Amino acid sequence: MATVETKNIRKVFQEHTAVDGVDLQTREGEFLVLLGPSGCGKTTLLRMIAGLERQTSGDILIGGRVVNEMPPRERKIAMVFQSYALYPHMTVAKNIAFPLKAQGAEPKTIDARVKTAASMFGIERLLQRKPRQLSGGERQRVALARAMVREPDVFLLDEPLSNLDAKLRHMARDELQQFQRRLKTTTVYVTHDQVEAMGLGDRIAVMSAGKVRQLGRPQEVYDDPADTFVAGFLGSPPMQFFENDGALVGFRAENLLPKAVYSSNEPLVSFWYRVTRVEDLGADRLLYGSLRDLAPDTKMIVNLPSTIHVPLTPGEAYEFACKVNDLKFFDPKTGLRIPSRPLRGKA
Amino acid sequence: MGQRFTRRQMIKAAGTATAAGLLLPRKGRAAKKTLKILQWNHFVPGYDKWFNNQYIKEWGEKNDTDVIVDNVGIPAINTTAAAEVSAKKGHDLFLFLWPKPVYEDEVIDHREIYEEVEKKYGKPIDLAIKSTFNPKTKKYFGFSDSYVPDPVNWRKSMFDEAGMKPDTWDDVRLAGKKIKDKRNVPVGIGLAQEIDTAMAMRAILYSFGGSEQDEQGRLVIGSKNTVEAVKFVKALYQETMTPEVFSWDASSNNRAMLAGRASVVLNAISVTREAENKNMMVDGKPIGDDIWLAKPAKGPTRRMGLEHVMNVYVIWKFAENIAGAKKFLVDYVGNFHRAFEASEFYNFPCFPKQVPDLKQMLQKDSKAKPPDKYFVLADSLDWATNVGYPGYSNAAIDDIYSQWILNNMFAKAAQGVMSPEDAVKEAEAKCRDIFAKWKERKLL
Amino acid sequence: MRLADDERALSRVLLAPAVLYIALLVGGPFVLAIIYSLTSISLGGHSFNFVGLQNFQAALRDPSFRRALGNTVLFAFVSQILVLVLASVLAIALQREFRGKWLVRLLILLPWVAPISLGTIGWLWIFDSIYSVINWTLRYLHIFGATTWPIWLGQPKLAMVSIVTVQVWRTLPLATVILLGGLSGIPQDIHDAAEVDGARFFRHMFQITIPLVLPISLVATLFGFVFAFTDMIVVYVLTRGGPFDTTQVLASLAFFKSVDGGDLGGGAAVALFLLPVLAAAAVGMLHMARRAEVT
Repeated sequence: MATVETKNIRKVFQEHTAVDGVDLQTREGEFLVLLGPSGCGKTTLLRMIAGLERQTSGDILIGGRVVNEMPPRERKIAMVFQSYALYPHMTVAKNIAFPLKAQGAEPKTIDARVKTAASMFGIERLLQRKPRQLSGGERQRVALARAMVREPDVFLLDEPLSNLDAKLRHMARDELQQFQRRLKTTTVYVTHDQVEAMGLGDRIAVMSAGKVRQLGRPQEVYDDPADTFVAGFLGSPPMQFFENDGALVGFRAENLLPKAVYSSNEPLVSFWYRVTRVEDLGADRLLYGSLRDLAPDTKMIVNLPSTIHVPLTPGEAYEFACKVNDLKFFDPKTGLRIPSRPLRGKA
Repeated sequence: MGQRFTRRQMIKAAGTATAAGLLLPRKGRAAKKTLKILQWNHFVPGYDKWFNNQYIKEWGEKNDTDVIVDNVGIPAINTTAAAEVSAKKGHDLFLFLWPKPVYEDEVIDHREIYEEVEKKYGKPIDLAIKSTFNPKTKKYFGFSDSYVPDPVNWRKSMFDEAGMKPDTWDDVRLAGKKIKDKRNVPVGIGLAQEIDTAMAMRAILYSFGGSEQDEQGRLVIGSKNTVEAVKFVKALYQETMTPEVFSWDASSNNRAMLAGRASVVLNAISVTREAENKNMMVDGKPIGDDIWLAKPAKGPTRRMGLEHVMNVYVIWKFAENIAGAKKFLVDYVGNFHRAFEASEFYNFPCFPKQVPDLKQMLQKDSKAKPPDKYFVLADSLDWATNVGYPGYSNAAIDDIYSQWILNNMFAKAAQGVMSPEDAVKEAEAKCRDIFAKWKERKLL
Repeated sequence: MRLADDERALSRVLLAPAVLYIALLVGGPFVLAIIYSLTSISLGGHSFNFVGLQNFQAALRDPSFRRALGNTVLFAFVSQILVLVLASVLAIALQREFRGKWLVRLLILLPWVAPISLGTIGWLWIFDSIYSVINWTLRYLHIFGATTWPIWLGQPKLAMVSIVTVQVWRTLPLATVILLGGLSGIPQDIHDAAEVDGARFFRHMFQITIPLVLPISLVATLFGFVFAFTDMIVVYVLTRGGPFDTTQVLASLAFFKSVDGGDLGGGAAVALFLLPVLAAAAVGMLHMARRAEVT
């Protein structure tokens, strides 16, 4: 068990700054997700933690020790790559055994631990196969088995699910989480997929342009984005903004509901919403339209759960409302959150 | 909408392009005759200048012919010939620098040329006949206009110091040892798989009374005299030379002599000519002045040297302009005096009447110091003989020559990997196979 | 043009040049060589007398032939083993980033692009008995005395060493480039994984890198082997088989016998001794090509 800590880590490739002063600290046994669009520096950060890339400046600590000068093998980490990076010329058994052999473990121990690892991932019957004879899901399990077999202090996972098809990905996500909960090994997980991040992470670090924009529990990051980037990156559709009185006001599509739905004792803000189109998706209804009085020119989407049966006709305006707390205010120049304030103008 | 090619259109287009290429008009053929000649890059550049730029133009104008000369390096001669023969296409006149009896079936009988030349310009020397005539089939498989003598080149100052001259092979051995002991300059007679070694070894062999064959063409290489010659070369090597001679190519002895690293070599006059033309210096003195020429050394039986190069022109049966080629050769002999001068006395005439003043010219060479340095070559006909002496240069002799069997016989004994007797026996066995082979092929 | 629409006919037409090429340029000479070897044909001869295995028997009787056969095997094996080792070292070194890498790459590739006869003539000078660059240098450094030095091309063993050296120099670039290709074909992830998994230099090299480039390096070696087995240019330029036929290889001996000596039948017989080895090599290559397809 160990924590991972980065102190003001920077990585500069020639002209381009990939990671720009990141301070992060995991907790014991935590599942920390690095989330961000491609090119945001998350993979570089992970590779620096692994020791595959040398940071330009700053310190990396694993289990409280500074590991800057240590090669990967001394950092007590295991890594799963996006491509799985299985050794194509070795059988599954040899792939899993490789880290143990490199440690110089006894053949007996190796055997036993390979078996344990294989059974943990249900791949015992694949042990004598070569990687090219496996499906994508099977390869991913072998990669995980190879990573956990020598019981590292930290798991580093680089988009391990992105090569799986959508159906498999759901299951794999679930397995992955169960497995991590069971082992309680500190895990740093890189992904660009917010659903994965929300579903897996104890905490999420949202990254952009080499910086961590926000670190927090999934719900925190979702509900209380620190800036417009985080707000706009998470959620489907992402948070929507309109200008009001020199501030950017954001809300999520699912937070705006017909006023009639709310019980009367909640503090609400209400809007007139003009519906232009209705999309019935079964579980939800997506409404396209705009805030008639506050921002008539900005398209806004509203997501109504199908449990709300209010009839809505395109072309008509209705009175919608959201809780006061669901409106988030941002500085339009810096994009940073600012304290809530009353809306101005006629709602 | 953009243009799209279907496969059918593509194939059509490609086909049309190909057809167009094939149908392009070709250059019309000139009514003028052409004569294509292949010969080597002459050792004396002045010769090629004269031949390519002057002589063939004159001849071409007189005979209404375009004469084209292709010059190649020596290693390309045999390969080019093989290619021309298998393609049945090539040059009208092909110059070998050695007899090539193996192509007898592929060439015309050159008898007529000899007859015509003899009528006009007198008799050829015996060396020419021995190098181009097959007594078995009575066919002339080539025409020899000239040969190159192979004298001894020796360092005057060094031999003077030893108080000797390279007159006999024993002199060479004794003086060579003295010079090597005193000055650490070895004798430079090759023992490698190359032409100069082949000629030097035959010179020694013949001088010791040995030979590959007798006058009637019977294999006699296994004679006692051969063994004596081999023993002599072994002693000569051990006393006067270094292992470098095993690694030599045809130009190594030239280089060794010109670098002052050899006391005596056997070669054509290329060594001294190069020294004169490039004004080469060793130890601050012009090296050319110290390299003197001598007749081949005398052995226990006779004084005998080789032709160094034997010009043998052949006309293929498949040549396109056989008549022109014949006429060219006859006229060339008629102009040989100019060729002799252009080659700076390198090529000696096979029809000596064409250079009646040979001795006078050799007596006062413009470049040599002393001016009569080359005079020793004047009686070269008395001692220069053909490969295969005392018989003819036939296919078996050429095969033995080409596979360097004699070179290797001498070299193996000299380096001590075999006794002289065994080396001769091994060579004899190989020669026997070769003689049998060519007899079976009806060329002997 | 109906042909253009007929898949099968078209495929035959398009394949025809390749088939023709193989038949004319490979099959033709090959059949001709077999026929020649059984006859008494000479360079300029029309006689096509069948002599059975006489040419082969004559070759086997000839000590120069036996020596050439041994030399050929030695030459091919030793040069290819050296090439494999050196090419691996070079390729691995060249994979790393360092200043002036392009220059080093260029220098290593040069022997391959320079005409071989030119290069070999350069070596002729390096090994020359009078002007040898090596010898002058070592004499200058007082490693050789004033009077003796090795005659590279004049002593059978040294001459063979020289020939193998030049062959290695000559085939090294191609092997290096092939290996370099094989090395860069290994995904970086695999190397990273091995590093994270704790493999140190030798384990990484021998359990990851080498096994992964093995198939392609085998192909490279086999090509080099066949090339060395059939090649004569280095021997031809450096020693012409000398001293006294101790460095002759089958190809050069066949050349001297047939083109210089005029004995086409005998030369063909000598050359055909290459056949079993080359056939085995060809089978090996086909086998590997098939395996490479599956992977």
